[in-house]
Amino acid sequence: MRTQKLIQKMLFIEILKGMALTFRTMFTHPVTRRYPKVKRPVMPGFRGLHALAKNDEGKLKCVGCGLCGAYCPSKCIHIYTSEGEDHTKVVDRYEIEVLRCVYCGFCVEACPFGAITLSEHYEYSDYSREPFYMTKEKLLSNWDKYFAGEKGKRYLRDFWRPKTADFAGAEDQATFSKVRRKK
Amino acid sequence: MNMMGIFEKIVTPGSIDVAVRILIILVKIAIVVGIALLHVAYATYWERKVIGHMQVRLGPIEVGWHGMLQPFADGVKLFFKEDIIPANADKPLFYLSPVIFFVAALSSLSVLPFFNDFVIANINIGLLFLFAMSSLGAYGIVLSGWSSNSKYAFLGGLRSASQVISYEIAMGLSLVGVMMMAGSLNLTDIVNAQHSYPTGMYAIPQILGFFVFIAAAFAETNRLPFDLPEAESELVAGYFTEYSGFRFALFFLGEYTGMIVMSSIAAVCFLGGWTIPRFVTDVLPFLSVVPGIVWFLLKVYAFMFLYYWVRATLPRYRYDQLMSIGWKILIPLALLNIVITGFIKVMVEGLL
Repeated sequence: MRTQKLIQKMLFIEILKGMALTFRTMFTHPVTRRYPKVKRPVMPGFRGLHALAKNDEGKLKCVGCGLCGAYCPSKCIHIYTSEGEDHTKVVDRYEIEVLRCVYCGFCVEACPFGAITLSEHYEYSDYSREPFYMTKEKLLSNWDKYFAGEKGKRYLRDFWRPKTADFAGAEDQATFSKVRRKK
Repeated sequence: MNMMGIFEKIVTPGSIDVAVRILIILVKIAIVVGIALLHVAYATYWERKVIGHMQVRLGPIEVGWHGMLQPFADGVKLFFKEDIIPANADKPLFYLSPVIFFVAALSSLSVLPFFNDFVIANINIGLLFLFAMSSLGAYGIVLSGWSSNSKYAFLGGLRSASQVISYEIAMGLSLVGVMMMAGSLNLTDIVNAQHSYPTGMYAIPQILGFFVFIAAAFAETNRLPFDLPEAESELVAGYFTEYSGFRFALFFLGEYTGMIVMSSIAAVCFLGGWTIPRFVTDVLPFLSVVPGIVWFLLKVYAFMFLYYWVRATLPRYRYDQLMSIGWKILIPLALLNIVITGFIKVMVEGLL
């Protein structure tokens, strides 16, 4: 046994084994992804840059309830509302500090109307902080950019189904005007 | 004396002969240095490519076709980098040491026979000259480590000094067997002696010496698994930590030139230089048409590939292990090789 080990040591059996392994590995296919040129397909339901959803008429879906801001663990959503004509609630400002966001997706879960969404877009580096401070207009344009057409509908139907789609308020309950009434 | 008289005194048939010889040598130097530096550039590319694929990566691929222009992109980058000199550095030595290192590596090329009758200086002590130059390179390393006035660089320089001195002995002794078999220190004579030897290469009868030479060559050029002087995880970059820009590039070029020189020594002294064994040409006679430089370069490339292959496979030795391998294994083995070679040479007349 000992002589066998000695012979193995003298003939570098183990080093040669290792070298055979590296030589074989040289002909296997590299696992490198050449990122900017070849991009991985984004998985459905990916949590990327925020967007504010628009309804079929192209209007803001958000009603300004503030649930997203209340849920937000990093407190990066700021909503300012005021009273508009015939006592409706008007969302004046809806702002997200993207640099503080942790992309947990709680805001999307909390939203009763599917108004705040997380798009599949994740390449938005920049040189200053301002571009990362998302105003209402920017968030709405994000919707047009990343959720145009069928994509946005599929997102809300398959992954982030708004609660109002399944639950309805009681008839005498005080709710937002957009919540369905129980028949 | 008028102008014509002076002209006639200077331009004699003898002086024209000298001038032509000098011109031929200069042209040879230009060719060798140009080709060697091109090889150095692509040695870096090839190394990154080979190691990349051995580690399931791609290596350089963006610059040019399959990253072929990467060495030039690196060169341009290094050339335009800011030249930083530490405030407490010993400035003259700091300037001088990369030059020493590079020149020592480059001047080794002058005695290497690349193919039949193509050698810049066909001197009788070619092998000794190579040893001398590879030891002089250690001065560049030690001085750069010392003059940087930084503890990492200093440790790298010290490690390199002791390592190169230790392995120099093993490398010298490993080549003594070759000298004994060839009966000469002239590299061209060594290659010719190998060609007339039955095996065609000294690597087969001198297998022990060849092994010692490989290990010592890795250590001499500070390559893995003996790259203690520039151990990244311990010493940042070792002796050239404080260097940037083109001074760093000189160290880089010197290191790769050193590798090419070591590979060439292996090719010349153990693998038959520009010749191929006669039993091969007896079986496949058309191979003797192939010019000698092709065989020489193939052998050099194979040895360079071994450098990369070992680098991709083996981890770095500990420093005391490095020293004990050098002094307790390689030097006794080389001595044993000399004794065996001498014994056979005396006992069996005509075998060696």
